[in-house]
Amino acid sequence: MGRTIVVNPVTRIEGHAKVDIEIDDADQIVAARLHVLEFRGFEKFVEGMQVELMPTLTTRICGTCPHAHHLVAAKCVDAVFGAAPPRAAILQRQLLNAGSIIHSHAIHFFALAAPDLIMGIGAPKEDRNIIALLRAQPDLAKKALRLRSLGQKIAEVVGGRGTHPVTAVAGGMTMALDQEKLVQLRSMATEALELSRFALNAGKKVLADKSELIELLPLKTYDLGTVKEGTWDLYDGTLRLCDPEGKVAKEFDSANYRDVMVEEACRHSYSKNILFKLAAKEVSYRVGPLARLNTCEGLPTAEAQAELLEYRAKFGRPNHQVVLGHYARLIETLACAELALEITGDPDLLSTDVKSEPQHGPRSAIAHVEAPRGVLIHDYDVDAQGLIRKANFIVATQHNMSSIDASLRQAADHFWKRPEAEFLNGVEFAIRCYDPCLSCSTHQLGEMPMIVNLIRRGEIVRQVRR
Amino acid sequence: MSKVPVSFEWLSGCSGCEMSTVDLHDRLLEVLDEIELVRIPILMDEKDYPKAALGIVTGALRTDHDVHAAHEMRKSCDKILAFGVCAVYGGPQGAAYAHGQGELEEAVFKNNPTTRTKFIPDQGIPKILPEGVRPIDSEIEVDLYLPGCPPHPYYIAQAIKSVVSGKVPEFGAHNVCFHCRRSMQHSEVVALRRSHDGPVAGDTCFMSQGILCMGSVTLDRCLAPCPQHGTACTGCAGPSEHVILEPQRDIRTEIAERMSSMTRIKRDDIIREIEKRSKTYYAYAMASPVFRKKPTFLLRRWIEQGEP
Repeated sequence: MGRTIVVNPVTRIEGHAKVDIEIDDADQIVAARLHVLEFRGFEKFVEGMQVELMPTLTTRICGTCPHAHHLVAAKCVDAVFGAAPPRAAILQRQLLNAGSIIHSHAIHFFALAAPDLIMGIGAPKEDRNIIALLRAQPDLAKKALRLRSLGQKIAEVVGGRGTHPVTAVAGGMTMALDQEKLVQLRSMATEALELSRFALNAGKKVLADKSELIELLPLKTYDLGTVKEGTWDLYDGTLRLCDPEGKVAKEFDSANYRDVMVEEACRHSYSKNILFKLAAKEVSYRVGPLARLNTCEGLPTAEAQAELLEYRAKFGRPNHQVVLGHYARLIETLACAELALEITGDPDLLSTDVKSEPQHGPRSAIAHVEAPRGVLIHDYDVDAQGLIRKANFIVATQHNMSSIDASLRQAADHFWKRPEAEFLNGVEFAIRCYDPCLSCSTHQLGEMPMIVNLIRRGEIVRQVRR
Repeated sequence: MSKVPVSFEWLSGCSGCEMSTVDLHDRLLEVLDEIELVRIPILMDEKDYPKAALGIVTGALRTDHDVHAAHEMRKSCDKILAFGVCAVYGGPQGAAYAHGQGELEEAVFKNNPTTRTKFIPDQGIPKILPEGVRPIDSEIEVDLYLPGCPPHPYYIAQAIKSVVSGKVPEFGAHNVCFHCRRSMQHSEVVALRRSHDGPVAGDTCFMSQGILCMGSVTLDRCLAPCPQHGTACTGCAGPSEHVILEPQRDIRTEIAERMSSMTRIKRDDIIREIEKRSKTYYAYAMASPVFRKKPTFLLRRWIEQGEP
């Protein structure tokens, strides 16, 4: 009899999901799939709305990375009205983005992933969370929470709100920053840089102590990330797809994404998968920190660049160890802290020229940014009154769906013979490497706690939930 | 003193309410000294529903799973706090009220520019509620309501601290204007305009400038960050108390009244504009019966007429 294991709900990820594991008569695993259980329908919700309001409305797709939705929507509406933001506005947006990535990466590493890495995948459930980590390693956990706070506060000072920011608008930003805010921002960026060095070192040590985990989930696949003249960039640039050997397979403007990305629905999940169309074939690919460090030639800041070289010397380029996405995330956190500090030292940041006026009537537009989890695309079809006729959102976790399933299967194979609790958490561990945001990927309908179903010949023979 | 057990559950939402709770920043550790988190899916691996004194529910009812989870929370918790605009009013996914599931699925799965499959997922996943989206009190008894998208950490701390000390929190019934420092002024503006069109003065009420702002009809659970940062209020915390309590008052007539007396824009022009773009102006509380009970409220018809 074939069986399927279901893990439901998957916890410590942003959203709702379950996992199905299919086994054959010999109890060998034949397939593993992550299912997203929520559906919201944002593409339809925004039809008929005023396009200039998208930067505030689309933040509600995701509470973890609202800043990314805010900024990509702002870039779209800049283009809708032909209003190119002045330099000060771009600096503000980049600073907002850097703060947001620090917040998201820090909370992911320390609250969602570190409990497995530090306490162990087989640790009792009471010990596998940030609260237990606060008890076991108060210094580390408090510093991690502080780093996350600093990132979010930087984003709040620039964005007007921590969760669901509001200041990026068509043509730039609503307000100039003043001296008082600059002093605050500079002091926060300075402390964030200090703490992100600490976090990276702590992360490296944790991974070194758990070296058996590093090579647990190798996945040789394509990588997609944003580069500006070859250098890593989170706000602006072209999209670069590298093949599994690390060669550039395609570099293109996100405005042409429809030519290369194709979405496919799945009977068992509300999230759609995406394939990339190359000349001869369609391939699946990965986005996010690991992919970004694989696709770029280098990082724009000195310390992070030195860290990148050390990382590449150890693990090569491209690096296909999915678990090392956690390492990549911490290098990016350091880069964002350096970037934030650099921006706060830029004399143009306080310029009062923060918004350009529309240069033409509304036109349709497409834009992208790098969200913490990877490439985020907004696509607005707009009518002559500036109302949304049709919208399309491609979010980071969607790009990763095929890779997540592949890693899931590896983890299931590896932890299959372990005690039940360890097996289930091992499966979730694989998912958490991708830091999946199911709020985003279910912007289409919206939930993610975890069931693992064991399925044999289409029949659930056992269901495990903790 | 023993810690008060608190349980979290999230239904259809975005995790922004959870983030806003973490945005207590340094005060988070103080709060954690007083409460024992027994369940919070974003942070902990507890998947059952342990007993708790306070159950905090974020997100709206969207699927049959959400309904089940809401009941599990009610059974396991002494008090239920409906946390955030989705739990209280349905939130932005309330737009499902205007469209129906068929139209949403059509846009996402069938008639979508980059999607080549044409079927709708239908196997082993929770069923969408036939009525689209509902606030949680349509299914379970709620003891406390804290709308906001998300509520400001200031109010979150107040809510949790009151409940753990056995008190009822005093949130206040003031609207967003209460914390806004812009000054309301009479102006000679004759027509409504959109925010991207021309400069916006930083110290004058948006309504004086002919820009629709929802601040005067929206409950303050945010401390007014939007108007303080150059953006008109979008009503994300849901309606103010007089709109909730008095059937003859609605947000469009309230705003039209106020704005037409401050400017030379005609009252009816303002009402028509809000109706035409009602999907925008009722975006966060559309699924709530608060509006449906109003005699003049024809949301579905307005939306249909306003579609491009």
